[in-house]
Amino acid sequence: MKKRGIGIGCMYYGMGYGFSRPDVSAAEVEICEDGSIIVRSGEVDYGQGSDTIFCQMVAEELGIRYDTIQLITADTFATPNAGPTSASRLTYVTGNAMVKASRAIKKTLQSVAEEILGERDLLFLDEEIFSESHPERRISFRQLAKEGHLRGLPMVETAWHDITTKDVNPETGQGDAYSTYAYAAQLAEVAVDTETGEVEVLRIVAAADVGKAINPSNVEGQIEGGVAMGLGYALTEEIKEEGGYLKTRNLGEYMIPTSMDVPPIDPHIVEVPVSSGPYGAKGVGEPALIPTAPAILNAIANAIGVRVTELPANLENLHRLIREKERD
Amino acid sequence: MQRFQFYNPRSVEDALNFLAEKGERSKIIAGGTDLIPGLRLEEIRPDFVLNIPEINPFRGIKEMDHSFWIGPTTTFTEMVESNLLSRSFPALVQSAASVGGPQIRNRGTIGGNIANASPAADVLPALLAHGGELELQSKRNGKRIIPLAEAILSPYKTCFRSDEILTGIILKKLELGTRSAFEKLGRRKAMARARMNLTLLLRLNHREEVSELRIVPGAVMPVAKRMDRTERMLLGKKPEPLLIEAASKTLAEEMVEVTGARWSTEYKIPVLKNIFKRMMKQLLIV
Ligand SMILES: Cc1cc2nc3c(=O)[nH]c(=O)nc-3n(C[C@H](O)[C@H](O)[C@H](O)COP(=O)(O)OP(=O)(O)OC[C@H]3O[C@@H](n4cnc5c(N)ncnc54)[C@H](O)[C@@H]3O)c2cc1C
Repeated sequence: MKKRGIGIGCMYYGMGYGFSRPDVSAAEVEICEDGSIIVRSGEVDYGQGSDTIFCQMVAEELGIRYDTIQLITADTFATPNAGPTSASRLTYVTGNAMVKASRAIKKTLQSVAEEILGERDLLFLDEEIFSESHPERRISFRQLAKEGHLRGLPMVETAWHDITTKDVNPETGQGDAYSTYAYAAQLAEVAVDTETGEVEVLRIVAAADVGKAINPSNVEGQIEGGVAMGLGYALTEEIKEEGGYLKTRNLGEYMIPTSMDVPPIDPHIVEVPVSSGPYGAKGVGEPALIPTAPAILNAIANAIGVRVTELPANLENLHRLIREKERD
Repeated sequence: MQRFQFYNPRSVEDALNFLAEKGERSKIIAGGTDLIPGLRLEEIRPDFVLNIPEINPFRGIKEMDHSFWIGPTTTFTEMVESNLLSRSFPALVQSAASVGGPQIRNRGTIGGNIANASPAADVLPALLAHGGELELQSKRNGKRIIPLAEAILSPYKTCFRSDEILTGIILKKLELGTRSAFEKLGRRKAMARARMNLTLLLRLNHREEVSELRIVPGAVMPVAKRMDRTERMLLGKKPEPLLIEAASKTLAEEMVEVTGARWSTEYKIPVLKNIFKRMMKQLLIV
């Protein structure tokens, strides 16, 4: 018989490394003579979309199009250290370095523009720099870049952002271990086949507080990817080991969900800005994944009154719990 | 990748001649979805690989007076898309539709599923339930026809001789009123090896008694087979719930007689019983 249930999973998650562990990131922004931009940073975009949002941030600060930016990343020979892509930290830590470096170079450009336009209340918008009170006084970003170079001014800036926190009290464990926290909640609806132990996830509703969504469709992608991973973690993924030898040796045996297994996902972006993040933003990578398994397990409990305490809740494991319950 | 010579025969005769000479050192390749992983893992080391999908007489589905003929290199996708098969053998088509994912179904063939003789095959047990027969050809002995039930000797081992090619699968038409069903249990919805599958064929007479029943579970025994003791229990009787319940117990016993008790039997016994009862119920509602 198929039984349906609904479950909720919630989480909060410390951004970055916390507990006094070094957590720093660098970015370098260079303005070329033709007004194009080169950004260098050791950050790694392995699919989460950080390259895109860093271009957005630099573009936002300098009032330019983000496709004029060339990004050089993850090359120890050419890029300053940004620390690992882990702990959901890139947007939050490297993002701050991007904004800082952009603002530093903007200051230099601003002084040149003030000199040329004879105005002080300048705006950087749509590839132009102009006076708010006298909008007819304007100079293109491209021309301004050239003027900066002609004057021999520094047209490259490096910024370093550090979110390393104090450690907690070693005796009491009290203190603020992390620079900030992310919050997320998910709802899962499942159908459990009590005859086979098969669980079908019918729907996931996922809300994540990201502070500020720099790129909303990027955030949705992260949420959907995280849910798919959480689903595999809850139901199928397992590494078997025997006497120190791995028995699960390839992806034919390690069961990640296929597109057929991933249910409709309804992502909700919650924006509660955090003052320490760039534009109020914080990370979403792991927070998107963490609530999924508890939500699914709670939904299973809601459907059939069985508590799963060991993962994965695969066919055999769940059916054993169902049989044990029937026996009692 | 290991080294071997790839031979692309132009005709059936060409292929049979090739095997007559080099069969012992050769492997046939159809879709390659079993063979290529085998070559990669170096489980097999042939000197020659004989490519058969381009031989036209090996393809297609034909209707005869009392039977159907299916070419060995017919892909699962072709089976699923065949109206002829869907009308006549819906459970067989369901088994083909359950294989891997679209990529595997586009390449994998019915002949490869049989010849590979995997204990976890999906189409092979369904064919067994349908009473499939195999047409084998060699240069030396010409054509011979054997029941599929006798062709699989042990896991991954068939009775095919090294100079033989499986050149056709023959299925007798089912008697009017035969109901059939296939169900597969896997760890996920696609690209999943069967944890278990079950094919049932059932016909009732005008008194609502079982006049024909075929039960073939797959992926639970080293070699799939019809569960005749369970079948006989129901033959000639009205399939009442109590009898079906008793039959499901016998079915599980028949399985354990073959496999012995293993870590997985604890799961397989109740679940095989459940799936059997559920499918019987569905077939009886029709
Ligand atoms: C990712 C993946 C998922 C899979 N999922 C499933 C699944 O869900 N269910 C399932 O049942 N199988 C599955 N398989 C296994 C495989 O796809 C099937 O067994 C398929 O039927 C093999 O057919 P083929 O044409 O690819 O065979 P090949 O790999 O070409 O050949 C298989 C064997 O049969 C022999 N052979 C082929 N044709 C003939 C012939 N005409 N005469 C004599 N010998 C012959 C070959 O020499 C070889 O030993 C999967 C495989 C992969 C890689």
